[in-house]
Amino acid sequence: MTENVGNREEKVLVKNLTKKFGDLLVLDNLNFTIKKNEFLCVVGPTGCGKTTFLNVLTRIHEPTEGDLYIDGEPANPQKHSISFVFQEPSAFPWLTVEENLAFGLKVKKLPKKEINRRVEKIIELMGLQPYRKSYPRELSVSIVQRVIIGRSFAMQPDLLLMDEPYGQMDVKVRFYLEDEVIRLWKELGSTVVFITHNIEEAVYLAERVIILSNKPAGIKEEVYIDLPHPRDITDPKFIEYRNYITDKIKWW
Amino acid sequence: MFSNATKRTTTQKIIYIILPILSLLLIVMAYAFVQRKLPMLLPDAAGLWNRFTKTFTNPIKNVNLIGHILASLRRVMIALAFAWSLGILFGVLIGWNRVFKALFGSIFELFRPIPPIAWIPIIIMWFGIGEFPKILIVFIGSFIPVVINTEDGIRLVEKEYIDVGRVFGANRTQLLMEFVVPTALPAIFAGIRTSVSSAWTVVLAAEMLGADHGVGALVTRGWNAGDMALVFVSIICIGIIGAILAYVLNKLEKVVSPWNN
Amino acid sequence: MEQLNGLVVENLSKTFYSSEGYFTAVEDVSFTLNDGEFLVILGPGRSGKTVLLNMIVGIEEKTGGRILYNGKEKTGIHPDFGMVFQSLSLMPFKTVMENVELPLKLRGVSKKERRKTAQHYIELVGLNGFEKSYPHELSGGMKQRVGIARAYTANPKVLIMDEPFGQLDAQTRYAMQNEILRIWEAERRTVIFVTNNIEEACYLGDRIILLSDCPAKVKAVYPIDLPRPRNMVAQEFLRIRTTISDNTDLAI
Repeated sequence: MTENVGNREEKVLVKNLTKKFGDLLVLDNLNFTIKKNEFLCVVGPTGCGKTTFLNVLTRIHEPTEGDLYIDGEPANPQKHSISFVFQEPSAFPWLTVEENLAFGLKVKKLPKKEINRRVEKIIELMGLQPYRKSYPRELSVSIVQRVIIGRSFAMQPDLLLMDEPYGQMDVKVRFYLEDEVIRLWKELGSTVVFITHNIEEAVYLAERVIILSNKPAGIKEEVYIDLPHPRDITDPKFIEYRNYITDKIKWW
Repeated sequence: MFSNATKRTTTQKIIYIILPILSLLLIVMAYAFVQRKLPMLLPDAAGLWNRFTKTFTNPIKNVNLIGHILASLRRVMIALAFAWSLGILFGVLIGWNRVFKALFGSIFELFRPIPPIAWIPIIIMWFGIGEFPKILIVFIGSFIPVVINTEDGIRLVEKEYIDVGRVFGANRTQLLMEFVVPTALPAIFAGIRTSVSSAWTVVLAAEMLGADHGVGALVTRGWNAGDMALVFVSIICIGIIGAILAYVLNKLEKVVSPWNN
Repeated sequence: MEQLNGLVVENLSKTFYSSEGYFTAVEDVSFTLNDGEFLVILGPGRSGKTVLLNMIVGIEEKTGGRILYNGKEKTGIHPDFGMVFQSLSLMPFKTVMENVELPLKLRGVSKKERRKTAQHYIELVGLNGFEKSYPHELSGGMKQRVGIARAYTANPKVLIMDEPFGQLDAQTRYAMQNEILRIWEAERRTVIFVTNNIEEACYLGDRIILLSDCPAKVKAVYPIDLPRPRNMVAQEFLRIRTTISDNTDLAI
């Protein structure tokens, strides 16, 4: 974070990304880059094609045109690792917390020592010690979601995509978890794209906010949030950012 | 947000049209291959066709193939009409009323695991081999899945739906008719679907054990006479009719519950 | 004795007993509801809020305390009480019109008359043109509008809303908050609104009752004297929000 976002090397390039369903244009020629270790938030009006945007980035849908490049190469699931966190927590119910954290690392066939090191680090950073032997069923939704987030960070992915992971939480829990995700991101140096409808959340988290326009989704504007973490939602500068972005997408 | 159909590209669409045709062709080719190698096991295509036309030119027991199919279908339809009306009623009662469940639930649990075909000897001993015993056997086979699914559907209605009804002042009958039964309709329909395939299976078994008319009777006749072509013609008919019934039900469900697509 | 014409909740408690032990969801909750008031009950996480509401409505048995309505003890369902549910509460097999007219149908009101009333509320919530649609054809926000119209059709004196916007995305939520205030001002019913969202509570309420996390007890009561429409980023608003937030239990 000490380093200015603009000076970091480029990690991800999204080029001419377009998606049509039949004649219906949903994503209209999106172009942007994501810097290494950047925390990027994407906000847009309700129904702007956010889900499609995400599905194209995760390759659930093939883009009609354009592509996603990681380290200068077209994104390839065999070669690059992209992790996802969705709104509904999806931990493996038959694995304990620590087994869930280790799962992806085992699939990647990392050495045992490295798996243990990473799992311990995550458990320590997130304070998950009391739950390490618990099964998801025994835990609250917010803890399960934290396990998923921890699991994704443990992968040290090239790109970590989060889709409203805190959408169902109450505001107090949300801030707690947002502080936690910032802590993980700073400690582990991941490149994060965080998609949300909540402007306050975006301004609270992001180094940079991409504002999508209404259907078809295009990039309306990019805003750099030049405030140190942890941020104060009552800070006049914070409110200025929040108002500015709200004005850009307001429809209600 | 978007249906699966719109997600697929044109090439994928074509592949999904071709694949079923391909698998059908493979079956036919495999049949032809085995038939050529081992002609005593399978009749050839010309033989099948001749046997098929002969069921019209030379009717068995004075009834052509269509007549036999209709005889089977008639038994199924009569049995289903009773099985559906009584089965849904009974299922709703044991799913909704605790006293009723306590009274009849355990008796039903006892009867439920008995395969319908196991009733055939008893029923033939009691009622002989006329029309009524056959319909009764089919009724037993189709009644049970309707009851099971209806009861489950009623019992598993989300509590919130019932709360909505209570808050708005519904009495118990209104709760049942306005909220619970319609919510359980998809489950009831699952029971109906199972009952149809079960009825179709059971009617053939019942007919095979003694009947003049019906597709099952044709199978038995072919078997006894060593007329393999007739057995095959009958079996193919059974498959096609079963598939048509399933298709009709599918369409019917869409008409009955338009909110469910 | 103005309380004769209102709702008084006294030491309301609920304990669930099972073979494994017991669990107290609501403990000793007392408050008085003023006529025409927009009362918000704010509680974190899964703090027994729904259980409290269900007892007030009369679909959950209480294990302690009592509820007085118009000076008489209230037990069970009362036609003066209406409810907007969290989710899942629209009948999927009924159209918008059939859902909205349902409370009147249950009371045996003639078709012509109930259609007229239902139409009025369908228009009030802005759903004209969707009378013949089924719930699955509507967006989340529209479904909740149907739920609100249905509750009003029953013509309740006290309208209870159980986290009605919990499943909506942040922007739709803002829109619906304005809607509910508009409808409340047009129809002037007494409202009890339950939420876990502090911002929403401050935006809507005349008064906020803050509950503790499991079991739900009254932790504090905050009268909100800000004039409407309120500005969510005004310093005064944020100050109140922060005060309440600091006093809220963290329900991780």
